[in-house]
Amino acid sequence: MLQGFFEAMGAWPISQAIGASIWIYPLVQAIHLVFLALFAGGMMIVDLRLLGYGMRSKTVAQVARDARPWMIAGLIGLVCTGLPQLMQNATREYFSEYFWYKMYWIAFGLILLVTVRRKVTQANETTLTGKVVGVVSMVTWTAVTYNARLIGLFT
Amino acid sequence: MAELMMPLRNVFQWVSEFPTSIAIRESLLFSPYLTVAHVLSMCLFAGLIVMMDLRLLGIGNMSAPFSEVQKRLFPWQMLGMGLSSVTGLTLTYSDPMRFYVNIFFWTKMLVMVLAGINAMAFHFITYHSVVTWDTRATTPLGARLSGALSIVLWAIVIVSGRLIPYNWFQN
Repeated sequence: MLQGFFEAMGAWPISQAIGASIWIYPLVQAIHLVFLALFAGGMMIVDLRLLGYGMRSKTVAQVARDARPWMIAGLIGLVCTGLPQLMQNATREYFSEYFWYKMYWIAFGLILLVTVRRKVTQANETTLTGKVVGVVSMVTWTAVTYNARLIGLFT
Repeated sequence: MAELMMPLRNVFQWVSEFPTSIAIRESLLFSPYLTVAHVLSMCLFAGLIVMMDLRLLGIGNMSAPFSEVQKRLFPWQMLGMGLSSVTGLTLTYSDPMRFYVNIFFWTKMLVMVLAGINAMAFHFITYHSVVTWDTRATTPLGARLSGALSIVLWAIVIVSGRLIPYNWFQN
């Protein structure tokens, strides 16, 4: 069923149009990386603070509040530039193990973001839990990026 | 122009014949994983550079003075720069002739130099007056200009870097 959906998605006129142009796909792929940097910055400044590094003179909550709009803007940009790539490459992505690893890690990362990480970033000071969450968050988004880059290199 | 570039071409050609360069080029796994490491270290570098630039523009990370943001993020930015330089140089070393003929590679190199000049200009000119605007929400024009230029230039570096595999302009 899911395979049928991916095949249908690849056949959508818009997916075909992206594939027909030689420059849309590469450019979207490149802009995806620019949003990745914005998202990574917004995540890392907070994760580092959770570990007791970086913006230590401010409370965890202040650093997190400051970074949140940019992290969200990065995430929206990533989704908007990620979906056209998926549409154009639907069948190839469906059969790529790295694409699915990436999706599982994203799902885990987003759940972490809106639950435990949200909770620990409301505190003034970091706790042991906060440190663990900071490490898990960094590892998770590193795993997302790692698998994402391998889709193109090993599929 | 072609004549002017000749010595550079010879250097790239010479390096491409080193046994270690050939070994990396011929290894199936080294380059992909090096590319992944290059992207990850770029995230550390560019991500934290952007966070600082937003403060410079007066639109982000406003609860701390600029000098604080700069000082606290600097070691991590440098770590990111070190790692992306090592991975990037190794990638270039492993296949110099592929990069020598690539317009996006040279665009990336040129824009990186411009981004470096922008950072130096900020450091040696605008940063001197930091005490007068450090905690202010509205930063001076020079600071805002540096921040905006930095974001634009590093974005061009990332985009042209990602476009290197697409050699549209090669014969």
